[in-house]
Amino acid sequence: MFKRRKDQDSAQPYKRLRTRDAGSVDRLSRLSNELLLHIFSFLPVSSLNVCQRLSHRFHALGGDSELWKRQYYSEWVRPRARRLANVRRTTLPAKTDYSPKVATWFDHGHLAQEAKTNWKRQYRLRHNWSRGLCRFTEVEFPQPPCPPTLVRFCAGVVFSADPAYGLRAWPARDPASCMARVPLTAHPKGPPVAPTALAVSQVQDDIEISVGLGNGHFSLFVLNIRTSDLSFQSSHLGCDGAITAMALSSPYLLVVSQHKDLTLYNLRHGSQRAGKTGEIQEPRQLASLRAENIVAPMTLSLRVSTFDIVATIVYSFFHIGCGWSLGIQELRLDKDGQQLDSRLATTVDSQYGLRPPQGLPQSQKRRHSATRAVNSQGVTAGTPTILHQKPPTSMSYSHPYLLTSHADNTLTMYLVVSTSDNLFVQGGRRLWGHTSSVSAVQVTNRGKAVSVSARGDEIRIWELEMAISTLGSRKYFKEENGVKLSPEIKQDEGSEVAPVHHNLDRVDHAQGLLQGCVGFDEERVLLLREKTGTQLLGCYDFT
Amino acid sequence: MSSGTITLTSSDEVDITVDRAVAERSVLIKNMLEDLGDSGEAIPIPNVNEAVLKKVIAWCEQHKNDPASANDDDDNRRKTTDIDEWDQKFMQVDQEMLFEIILAANYLDIKALLDVGCKTVANMIKGKSPEEIRKTFNIQNDFTPEEEDQIRRENEWAEDR
Repeated sequence: MFKRRKDQDSAQPYKRLRTRDAGSVDRLSRLSNELLLHIFSFLPVSSLNVCQRLSHRFHALGGDSELWKRQYYSEWVRPRARRLANVRRTTLPAKTDYSPKVATWFDHGHLAQEAKTNWKRQYRLRHNWSRGLCRFTEVEFPQPPCPPTLVRFCAGVVFSADPAYGLRAWPARDPASCMARVPLTAHPKGPPVAPTALAVSQVQDDIEISVGLGNGHFSLFVLNIRTSDLSFQSSHLGCDGAITAMALSSPYLLVVSQHKDLTLYNLRHGSQRAGKTGEIQEPRQLASLRAENIVAPMTLSLRVSTFDIVATIVYSFFHIGCGWSLGIQELRLDKDGQQLDSRLATTVDSQYGLRPPQGLPQSQKRRHSATRAVNSQGVTAGTPTILHQKPPTSMSYSHPYLLTSHADNTLTMYLVVSTSDNLFVQGGRRLWGHTSSVSAVQVTNRGKAVSVSARGDEIRIWELEMAISTLGSRKYFKEENGVKLSPEIKQDEGSEVAPVHHNLDRVDHAQGLLQGCVGFDEERVLLLREKTGTQLLGCYDFT
Repeated sequence: MSSGTITLTSSDEVDITVDRAVAERSVLIKNMLEDLGDSGEAIPIPNVNEAVLKKVIAWCEQHKNDPASANDDDDNRRKTTDIDEWDQKFMQVDQEMLFEIILAANYLDIKALLDVGCKTVANMIKGKSPEEIRKTFNIQNDFTPEEEDQIRRENEWAEDR
């Protein structure tokens, strides 16, 4: 029941269609919070923001998290549910209405589960990503750029490794200040050694860092996120030659050497929580393989589940019919390092339309009899749909998404299907949009990808899930893809305090030479580029 | 009384006789009748005056055959601020009456009418600038210019579209 003021003259006879309200009574503000929220629930996002500017009370009500949660749901979650339902050729579940139940939130469940999610903030974040709106800051790395600095980004911290300054950590929020640094040596007292590979992995409050060195050693470090304490843990001799690539998924470390030796280590063999006490024992080599056919560029990935470890090497090779193609070698090992399975798949198979037809269970193996199936682009099998005459400029694999960037202004996207009895690559779809050579690409397992042009002046954001969903069908949702490409221009506000918004398409850094896409998380993209002898770390903040 | 009509007494002591089916659009009245049984006595509605009660009853008459709102929490309902033509005409009243109807619908627990009222208010807010909204509803701006400026900047991201 509500309290009403008695002065709302109940005796006054009501006149129909009286347009002007007499007096200056603020009847809207007299409503209870509950009723105002009910009214607000009918408002679009832009009006909610306007209402927040009315008064203190409206500011609080218009920022109500429950309201924004609904907006978030209808803007980002439900369209996705509809899309997924379309892909699976199923009818949309009757109950796609807003529901606080986490199960109906698909991948957004992690947000819905957290009790204190600021939904307005989350909405705004998604909104900015979808429009490509962000703040841009840049920090100069004061050091000679040769040999190239290695950079990784994990849990809001940027790690850089170079021979002069060793391993350094920078907070992404404020990359101007260095959090911590340690020299890079094979032995605690030894001379500095050039780092050749860098891998990071988050374990609760710690970030474990593994640095591969030119002399075949690798060193382990731990950064405590709360105390910003970066400490040397141990150093080990890995292999004869320089370490060229590493993947870390604690406690497992995958190392590839110059001589194409592939080695998997368990960093915490024997003791469960050795890492906590700082006494990492000698890593145990779990498996070692020689991989002869690996040609750069290559990318490593390590997936650890409760039962097994899946180590994946993606490499490029030249195929007579298909040009530069990708090979995926997947090794499944149990927790003791016993090899369970080793499988190989290439993109050549999918190129010839030998992918299992849509709708058939995946257990039906690809047949090598060339059934003249019509593939997704409407080209008959026998002609490769995608022919690359040059090797990819970079590749990124985060299961199930595999992305390569090319000098011909495009990206190619594949979907890796890895089931218990089958491994194959689906699709092979060009992503258009870049207007110059693409030199770096990064993808996450949520299907968000960031690609950068060679000069570092054009950055594009991709939501791959939508593109993937059209892989099997002949339909193209070009417009859906296009929306995601930061198409709008946000004008800079002249005021000094106002954050400067850059449209990603328009960010212009002449002579900037890209060093490689560092990485991105839910809130920002970090980019390392080189400009006339100095290195610059750029941060694109979407909050 | 089994005649199918009941009597409601407004806050200003006016008795209004309505069909029981019409009055039962109000969940409050429906529950009262179920709990107390139909004694034939007038039901007092102490929060709603005669003019507003008559207006509310007029709405209930019009909508007495509407199906019970099945999709109770439908998001589509929220998305659209479309109001059907009869309701639009019905809501062409002054602000005082509009808010009285909202309060009465809330008190009497007539969800569909509450939604129509709230949508009408939402439509009065949509597409307006903060200054226009303040003027429409006589809302007192209690921000300092600095605060106002800060909030404007915080929220400018969603201004397009």
